[in-house]
Amino acid sequence: METFAEIFGIAYQLFDNIGFLVLSASGLIIIFGMMGVINMAHGELMMIGAYITAFSYHAGIPAPIAIIFAGIGAGLVGMVLERLVIRHFYKQLLSSLVVTWGLSLMISQTFLIVFGPSILNVPTPFGSFPVGDQTFGIYRMVLFAVAVMMVASVWAIFAFTKFGTRARATMENPDMANALGVNTGNIYALTFGLGCALGGVAGGMFALTATISPFFGINYTPLAFITVVVGGGGNAITGLISSVLSLAGIQTAVNNVVNVYVGYVAMFGAALVILLALPRGISDYLEQRKIRVRKASSRENSS
Amino acid sequence: MKTPPSSGAPSSVLDPYLGLLNGPQTMGRGVPFWVGFIAIVTVLALCPEFLRRYDIINFSNFLISGFLALSLSLIWGYCGILSLGQAAFFGIGGYAYGIVALNLLNSHGNTDVAMIAGIIVPMIFAVFIGGIMFYARLRGVYIAILMLVVSLLIGLFMRQTADPSYTMGAAYLGGMNGLRPASADDPLLPSLILGLGKSVVELDGRDASFYYFVLGLLTVTYLGLRCLVNSSYGYILVGCREDPERTETFGYDVRLIQLSVFCLAAGIAGLSGVLYTAWGTYIHPDGFGVGPNILVVIWVAVGGRKDLGTALLGALVLEWVSLRLVSEGEIALLALGSILVVVMLIAPRGLAVTLGEYFNTAETYVMTRFGSRANKVTGSDGK
Repeated sequence: METFAEIFGIAYQLFDNIGFLVLSASGLIIIFGMMGVINMAHGELMMIGAYITAFSYHAGIPAPIAIIFAGIGAGLVGMVLERLVIRHFYKQLLSSLVVTWGLSLMISQTFLIVFGPSILNVPTPFGSFPVGDQTFGIYRMVLFAVAVMMVASVWAIFAFTKFGTRARATMENPDMANALGVNTGNIYALTFGLGCALGGVAGGMFALTATISPFFGINYTPLAFITVVVGGGGNAITGLISSVLSLAGIQTAVNNVVNVYVGYVAMFGAALVILLALPRGISDYLEQRKIRVRKASSRENSS
Repeated sequence: MKTPPSSGAPSSVLDPYLGLLNGPQTMGRGVPFWVGFIAIVTVLALCPEFLRRYDIINFSNFLISGFLALSLSLIWGYCGILSLGQAAFFGIGGYAYGIVALNLLNSHGNTDVAMIAGIIVPMIFAVFIGGIMFYARLRGVYIAILMLVVSLLIGLFMRQTADPSYTMGAAYLGGMNGLRPASADDPLLPSLILGLGKSVVELDGRDASFYYFVLGLLTVTYLGLRCLVNSSYGYILVGCREDPERTETFGYDVRLIQLSVFCLAAGIAGLSGVLYTAWGTYIHPDGFGVGPNILVVIWVAVGGRKDLGTALLGALVLEWVSLRLVSEGEIALLALGSILVVVMLIAPRGLAVTLGEYFNTAETYVMTRFGSRANKVTGSDGK
């Protein structure tokens, strides 16, 4: 029983870390992975989501609906930002990096001035269950489930809806898509807004577990970014899964052997090593290998 | 006669006298610029005569920020390497200075070695981290973000060093409270004490002497970097920024050049950290946080990253503005963020650069309209 509890504890941590990374990165796989825009303000959009959730909850709205509000709010803010600022910086990576960092500073400082350094927290729902002599929160597992659902729905949106087809066409070749009658400006704004809305939902989910402050976002932006970069652009979904599994796996392992700080550093170290070995990310490498294998087999067939 | 490579910048009558100080890689080469430059340095040098002591203390701090702006302009503006974590080198330099100074002050009586350590240690760190990044040919965006992550991680580490076991000789890292002496017998974190043996000068951060020292050092650094970017090395830097593949085809090792300039910039940022620590006799983990890192980027982007002078001006002016705003409440950072976003939208190359170009156009207009002599000078260029 003792060892079972220990193993369960580590598995629980692993799922917790996976859910955390997937939720943080879910909006950014669209914004950076698909659109190629770097949004350093992503964490601040999550922060907006967290604030909306907290305010709605304290106004008597049930938490799930409050989180949906958070998604809508963050999505709208994202679309406004895209139309006003970010659309001027497509194809200029370093400039978009700097300007969105400026936006993140503006948003967090505005919240600091308007709402002060902290607001009333939202209690974590669902309670906990005991295994051995430890107790585990149920909500953490809900986070994991929601993370999986969010990734699945993103995939479904881009694979099956008309909007998804248009968005993929626009990202592939904007001029061609425009010539075929797609309003690419709207598509960019909507795609960006969708990414921000996912960020807002993630922020709302985290609002139920974390302290909400104007500097809530900075904990998430670098993590989300690194998760997406390690995943690579070959295939957003396999990229996300492979990168989250490797990063969360290493973090959990080192966390248990040494301590939390070293676990955190080890995760960034692992990301660096993966990027050194596979500069274009894991999913790109997998795609390349698939192509190579296919070519090799077709050569065998023809000979 | 050798003509300078054309880069769009007009040549100046001062070119033959100033050598490498005047070249196409730096804006401001004419008589008006140098007159203005000497005037600004003179006014800054006279400040202690007619300003309150409190203002001089603040002005010393502004000048210290200038080094940091120069270091980012050198790598980002000239070589195209954006680092969102330039303050990491600032902090490392400050901590290195403090740790060495605390340990050696009693036996040496000066902080010469500490000051050198504050410059060398960030450079060694830059060789290590830059070597990995440049030789792996990481994309520029990844380098920018990785540097931020590195800075945040060092800050995170420094924050949790409140445990008494984190001592290095006479220095105790002290967690959130910042670097301090390990025991009551050890000296306090010193100001700069330069010199040998008994003939030492102490430059207290609250005195005018420290201000003069920093002003002199900043002027020398600026002029030295001006020479550097106008030398053949500077041309290679710009080559790496504009087209790394072509620069490589010409036989230059782009990775080595990027690494060398990254280290140089780390050394300058380290110097800034040394001066800051000596100025306030204080260094703490917040120096590695998001705030200091984004401030450097704001100064350089708003001033104009592709010129040392505009980046420096951006730092000095914005530091002064934010000091003014701090007295108005908590809007300083909001205002700086807004300035950054607005400037990126209306003048992506930097406010000072855009204004400088308007000035140049106006000057050319005045010259062609009213000055026939100027016409002859440019006419005899042998075009």
